[in-house]
Amino acid sequence: MIKHGGVIITTITILTLLVLALGCGPQATPAAQAPVGEIPIGSINDTTGPTSDVGKDYAAGIQDAIRWINDHGGVNGKRIRLILNDYGYRVPEAITIYKRYRDIDKVVAVLGWGTGDTSALAPTVAKDQIPYISASYSGELTDPSKTPYNFFAASDYSTNARAALLAWYEEIWLKDDRFKAEREAGKKPRIVMFYSFPTPYSSAPIKALKEFAQLLGFEIGPDQDISLTALDAKSQVLAAKEFNPHVIWHGNTTQSVATAIRDAKALGLQADHLVNNWGFDENFLRLLGPQAEGVIGIAVSAFYGEDVPGMDRVKEAAQKYNPALKERTIRTVQAWANVMLLYEALKKADAAGQLNGPGIKAAIESFRDLDIGLGVPPLTYTPDDHRPTSKVRIYIVRNGKFELLKLVDLKEKFADQWPKWKGY
Amino acid sequence: MRMRLPSGVFYQTYKQDQALWPTAFVKLRMWGLLVFLFVIFPQVASPYWLSLANLVGYTILSAMGVQLLIGYTGQVTLGHAAFIAAGAYTCAVLVLQYHIPYPLAFLAAMIVAGLWSVLFGLPSARVKGFYLIMTTMAAQFITVDFIITQYVSRIGERGHSFSLPPGTLSIGPWVIQSDRDVYYLMIALVTLSVLAMTNLARTRIGRAWMAIRDHDIAAEALGINIVAYKLLAFFMAGVFGGMAGALWIASLFAVSPEHFTWSWSLWLVGVILIGGLGSNYGTIFGSLFMTLVMEALRNAVTMLAPLFPALETSFLFIKEAAFGLAIILFLLYEPNGLAYRWWQIKNYIHLWPFSYE
Repeated sequence: MIKHGGVIITTITILTLLVLALGCGPQATPAAQAPVGEIPIGSINDTTGPTSDVGKDYAAGIQDAIRWINDHGGVNGKRIRLILNDYGYRVPEAITIYKRYRDIDKVVAVLGWGTGDTSALAPTVAKDQIPYISASYSGELTDPSKTPYNFFAASDYSTNARAALLAWYEEIWLKDDRFKAEREAGKKPRIVMFYSFPTPYSSAPIKALKEFAQLLGFEIGPDQDISLTALDAKSQVLAAKEFNPHVIWHGNTTQSVATAIRDAKALGLQADHLVNNWGFDENFLRLLGPQAEGVIGIAVSAFYGEDVPGMDRVKEAAQKYNPALKERTIRTVQAWANVMLLYEALKKADAAGQLNGPGIKAAIESFRDLDIGLGVPPLTYTPDDHRPTSKVRIYIVRNGKFELLKLVDLKEKFADQWPKWKGY
Repeated sequence: MRMRLPSGVFYQTYKQDQALWPTAFVKLRMWGLLVFLFVIFPQVASPYWLSLANLVGYTILSAMGVQLLIGYTGQVTLGHAAFIAAGAYTCAVLVLQYHIPYPLAFLAAMIVAGLWSVLFGLPSARVKGFYLIMTTMAAQFITVDFIITQYVSRIGERGHSFSLPPGTLSIGPWVIQSDRDVYYLMIALVTLSVLAMTNLARTRIGRAWMAIRDHDIAAEALGINIVAYKLLAFFMAGVFGGMAGALWIASLFAVSPEHFTWSWSLWLVGVILIGGLGSNYGTIFGSLFMTLVMEALRNAVTMLAPLFPALETSFLFIKEAAFGLAIILFLLYEPNGLAYRWWQIKNYIHLWPFSYE
């Protein structure tokens, strides 16, 4: 008795096996190498998961940048073959994708995404000697004695958080009339941190931020757990209100941060807002409208369309390769920044005849004040420090636009602390 | 001299009747399978295939407890990831914080996860059906989102992901670091678990579970201590979960609360629904199917991407959608799961060429 439905199920099963065999079989043998003159690069992105609010645009930026490189002479004449996959922010999937890239596609480098998967993979990529350039700027990834193959082209989260707090402290707390009475009464500024506890991205800079807040003499209120997919943060806002903070740190991505700020305003929580870089972009303005006014945030590169060197090609590529995506954001520019870092390293490694993991690592670690344009500060990497820069640009929203509040250089300001801050 | 040839398989003793592998042919087949799984596959497979196999094995061990609860005992659970997490964290904390050898930590993980599962199985003495679903969901959120996220994952100031770099875990002199090492551990555990599960189902305990599943009042009237057997089912399910969790940390070199989301609990229910309820084959086929279909869809996208670049960004959700479609197709056309299809194929071959149906 073979039912009609059975045929469908059997067909699905057979098709599955076929695709599996085709997809992994022939290439799985070591004989099948990438065509000469082609450089395989893998990319792991989130375009469907909880961070897809910022991940989709980043993935499109990766595609744009690689295609632009290929259309402009490639890497010393060699084309890059990009293999891009969505992992829906599920760490186990990222790990299987990575293994596929390593064993089947034989990639020379990986462009990664989240903090959870990047730090979970860090020991493995170190063992496999595959440079891993992530959109996670976690401070944990900057100590080469622990994570020698992890890189990114932006200031790290911990540096960001310290810089934002310092900017608020110096520019707002010490100068603004709102706080004059309390300041003169010798009151300490109070801070509460809003972030998703279980998400490594959100919790990455918290330890650093708390230490730094204590250094500046802040009182620290109870942390509030807000998930990345939160549609409501009222109970957390009410809990924070009891502590009556002057400033709130937001460690999540755009959607969730916008929700939290909206609820804070709705419930009359009088506090300033500091937002980490993945929560602060053009969509943030669209989501909050006038409520975004006065919010302070971090940008690790220029916003999309800003008048900085290299932006022309970003815009040109976006229109040429992904015309369907209308509203591009700073995420595209951040993707470009990471790809440009890799591009420079690939060129240098190729010129040295070392187009492999250790060769690319050595190339990146030889960069001193590398200028990739795009509003990214000059990048420096050394074999014992992978923190790319100590300069962070802090913006404030005024009249519906991003306005530069302060350019903070932490290394200059805290020369004695800076070496100790490596790696967390 | 006359020759007597049996015209079929006749059992002459109870022992024969109860044998796991009753005939020479089955014995040959099973030994062949074991040789393939333990010797041939790990030698010929590339690391990629090994890591896929490890994922399948992890899913089997994870789903085994769900199968035991839903498929054998009829206690619907939607929070099994909690017990896998309990196992994973027990093992990780013991190894990292207290430097206890991996095998001992592994055993402790199984026991802790089992007891933890019993704790959340207690309401099953009073409630069933939808209400039990709610209490098992509570287990998920209390364990993972509250206890582990807020407290356990902060032990030792490690940040939220406990990292276990390759080389941290070892059994005696054997250091578990490559995918192949994990594979050997995984296949041994899966084989033992499947054997244990098969035997549990054939004994008094398993029959009591199935009686509770089919009609709990009748089972009680027959003298089965319902509460004790339900709790035993929760304990065993937790033990399998703990085993899965402790294996997982070896395979991933890290553990974070993110790995044990509620969607993983739901996924495991999907695994046994597609595989087939109330059968070990169901657990195994379901895990194979769910893991390999996802991988195949990814490969399909990767293969077609050079031709249709839009596929990579705009059509990635096709993978998720196709998966949902597979579940709907199964519920419509194969509600008994892949295990039933396997049984039909076997029967078809056994009866060939005279199938009277």
